[in-house]
Amino acid sequence: MGRFLARRLLLTLLVVLVTSIVAFSLVHLSGDPAAAMAGEGASATDVAAIRRLYGFDRPLTVQYFAWAADVLSGEFGRSYYLRESVVQVLAEHAPVTALLGSLALGFALLLAIPLGVLAALRRGGMMDRLASALAVTGQAAPSFLLALLLIYVFGVRLHWLPISGNATTAHYVLPAITLGMYATPALLRLTRSGMIEVMQSDHIRTARAYGLAPWRVVLRHALRSAIIPVVSLAAVQFGLMLGGSIVVEAVFSLKGLGQLAWESIQRSDIEVIQAILLLTSLVYAVLTLLADLLNALLDPRMRLT
Amino acid sequence: MTPAPARATVHRLLRHGRFWLGGGTIALVLLLSLIGPTIIGQDPTQQDLAHRLTDPFWGAHGTSTHILGTDQLGRDTLARLLAGARVSLFIGVATVIVSGTIGTLLGLLGGYFGGRVDLAVNFIVTIRLTLPVVLVALVVVAMVGSSLTILVLVIGLLLWDRFAVVTRSATQRLAHSDFVIAARCIGSSTPRILLAEILPNITGPLIVVATIELAHAILLEAALSFLGLGVKPPLASWGLMVAEAKSQLLFRPWQIAIPGVALALLVLAVNLLGDALRDVLAPEGRV
Repeated sequence: MGRFLARRLLLTLLVVLVTSIVAFSLVHLSGDPAAAMAGEGASATDVAAIRRLYGFDRPLTVQYFAWAADVLSGEFGRSYYLRESVVQVLAEHAPVTALLGSLALGFALLLAIPLGVLAALRRGGMMDRLASALAVTGQAAPSFLLALLLIYVFGVRLHWLPISGNATTAHYVLPAITLGMYATPALLRLTRSGMIEVMQSDHIRTARAYGLAPWRVVLRHALRSAIIPVVSLAAVQFGLMLGGSIVVEAVFSLKGLGQLAWESIQRSDIEVIQAILLLTSLVYAVLTLLADLLNALLDPRMRLT
Repeated sequence: MTPAPARATVHRLLRHGRFWLGGGTIALVLLLSLIGPTIIGQDPTQQDLAHRLTDPFWGAHGTSTHILGTDQLGRDTLARLLAGARVSLFIGVATVIVSGTIGTLLGLLGGYFGGRVDLAVNFIVTIRLTLPVVLVALVVVAMVGSSLTILVLVIGLLLWDRFAVVTRSATQRLAHSDFVIAARCIGSSTPRILLAEILPNITGPLIVVATIELAHAILLEAALSFLGLGVKPPLASWGLMVAEAKSQLLFRPWQIAIPGVALALLVLAVNLLGDALRDVLAPEGRV
């Protein structure tokens, strides 16, 4: 386990390092961020001044290492638009996205696990068809369309829930459902196939033969082993949702990282964009690391790969 | 995996309900997007400010000139819907060609050579998975500017991971099979073995992945256009149409529903087709 852990940690570090280079390069793709920051119609001297101020006139490698050194010491630069340190801006927006992501994942799991179990117990039955229909439509529905549909039904028509902003917890309900639906199909399929496999295994047959109550067999014995891969996938899905929350936050005007990213991209606020790219990738890398460790802990065969 | 005789495969496909439902819908969308514009004879970019926001035919003031009504600039909604279908299908298919080529090549190399090459391929896949797709696509389009070519390249460069993973494991299974060893023994070159021996034997799972990524690419283009960083006006895209109609949610919700439902139906059709193909071509496991 020790060697596996060391190798996996090293890999994560390498991944984060390369990702940071990618994040940096992406933002500098246009060649000269100063022109974009100065805006249209800026004079050449203004652009040159911005270029000097932010050090864009230095070679790219020098800029990268300067940025990386700053990041390692916890300094992400300043947002030229918001006139705040990037760390402060992120600290304001990150909790919103974290809460949204947690609620969305909670919603997805509450939907996917019971439905997946019921679908697996009666293959081809009503619940199985419902689960399959939900998985198929959930995969096909674009999240912005689902968001607008929920806004129309629950906000405009029924007046049940607020549709914009993040003032109260109620503001998170519709965005969390939208984002959660995005994660549901994969979790649902995995729960279902895992349960089908486990229910056919020897230890479940034994438990049944001993005459344990059916619900006890399902909940205490079968679900316990079927849920492990689902938990790992949930960790990965959480990471994916952080990246995918841009659309949802944009539609619902939630002031989270996604909304911040979208606005920062539109105003070429490159220090913020870099930081969000790096942060999202870092969270994803750490979550996949945790998922892998969880798998390895529970299934020693995984440690070989 | 023993590939079923071609005729039996086709036969099973033809008896698969979802194949007809999915494939038929896609064919219909393709056909409408190709010949529809000439039939309705409306220019999707022609503005007519005197006839803004007219009702569709079922509305109180519906007309037969604009069957689905007009948008806030007086452009014919049906014409834009058909033009958007072209964009969706073009970007989807072109993207799958790009991502399929990248992913398949990487997967073939990693699966066939194993060892360090495989480690490197794995590492590149991990990097790709670590980068958030929507965010990276938005940043690139914002930095480089958006055109259809750039959108195809960006989405294509972001969606090849599944191709690589599936090709890699399928290639691993075949790398030590008799026919590959035989090909090596008669002195076939490595590219020949990879492209002429292995590749034709893994097309089943690859076609299934292609449908998954086709749906994925269509949704991603729509999301980017919805956020204003995809297809640019005056070109039409379903995502863009939804974004433009967003302010009409209260009074003209159908303006959102028309492109939105079209998009969901097309993606659903692609998924159904993919399901049917998976049942027939790669029944041994979900990819």
